[in-house]
Amino acid sequence: MSPLAFVAALFATSVAAGGAGAVLGLGGGILLIPILTLFFGVDLHYAMGASIVSVIATSSGAAAAYLRTSLSNVRIGLFLALATVSGALLGAGLAGVVPIRVLQLLLGLALAYSTVTTLRQLRVELPETTETDPLALRFGLEGTYYDAALDRDVKYRATRVAQGFSAMFGAGLLSGLLGIGSGAFKVLAMDHFMRLPMKVSTATSNFMIGITSAASAGIYFSRGDIHPVLAAPVAVGVLVGAAAGTRLMARLHNATIRKAFLPVLAWLAISMILRGLGIGLP
Amino acid sequence: MSAPVRAERLIGRVLLLGGVLSVSLVLGGLVLYAVQSRPEAREIVRVVRNREAGRAVDVFTSLGDVRRALTRHPPDPLAVTALGLVCLLITPVLGVAVAGVAFWRAGDRDYAAIAGVVLGMLLLSFALAAGG
Repeated sequence: MSPLAFVAALFATSVAAGGAGAVLGLGGGILLIPILTLFFGVDLHYAMGASIVSVIATSSGAAAAYLRTSLSNVRIGLFLALATVSGALLGAGLAGVVPIRVLQLLLGLALAYSTVTTLRQLRVELPETTETDPLALRFGLEGTYYDAALDRDVKYRATRVAQGFSAMFGAGLLSGLLGIGSGAFKVLAMDHFMRLPMKVSTATSNFMIGITSAASAGIYFSRGDIHPVLAAPVAVGVLVGAAAGTRLMARLHNATIRKAFLPVLAWLAISMILRGLGIGLP
Repeated sequence: MSAPVRAERLIGRVLLLGGVLSVSLVLGGLVLYAVQSRPEAREIVRVVRNREAGRAVDVFTSLGDVRRALTRHPPDPLAVTALGLVCLLITPVLGVAVAGVAFWRAGDRDYAAIAGVVLGMLLLSFALAAGG
């Protein structure tokens, strides 16, 4: 493959990854690392470096638009970032001490359970929340956004904040321990525990993944894992894709996004369980 | 406009500007790299498939590396790209800092403090990374 064809193919792949990431609240690493290593033959370390660039590019590209339209909730994002960033720091410190395979297996089983519960709520457009969480009231974890698909303003308030916060801490811990992004876990915690509208969950996750990944970006950079020629088309492609993804997401129904999110969740559950059992995956 | 909405718009603008600046630098460096058609550019596919083959030439591991390559004559085009990538990596951190200031100015001490703690943890992680 010529260098130009390589860069062009990489750019096109990154546009797709950025679009999917913006809609689903993921950094794209879950898609990008296997594609870069399996199809492009890229060295795993460089693929991981490009992935961290992709996460931050998705976050910047998507969150800029979502914050303008109030789909991302900055209070919820910052509040939960306390949990994910502290979890990531602790996780990085515990790497090598904690039995990672046991954690992967437990996480895989939890994700499998979440996949089943998400399957049951597949057609739910907006969650009905009757509970009033004192923490949500105290920290103002609520908001309003205009839903273009429903053609009306949607008001929401978080519930089960303590569980959501704990799940976010766990997501951050695993991020630090395993060196993975945790967009899917963030979406799950906000959708499943805190009962936020799916669009708010993915848009707020987009804001948060940039913050969490920034915590580890310096490590990748200083290790020499970020190759400029590889990371450049990824960054530009992902930013372009994320900008397009935000326009698409505004027009989608919450239930449609949840349906698109389900296969990602199922794949993560299977991947984590297999890794926990010592069966390697790319 | 309420404090959170003002903060949201401000952070959105910072992320957008960070993204635009990063892309401009990244693309500018990449175009210069392609135009100069250095011998190593033709080997780039082999290099990204084998980390050890390219590390010394193309990869920057510190801001000092980037600065030195930029001040060289002529400047290394990949250092321009690397500078763009660094801008991209620090954009979310700037977003948190701006959120903290916006909440503080709006009198929302809780969220100014939360943004401050998150920012402190991010800076700690950078310090730990720099310390190896």
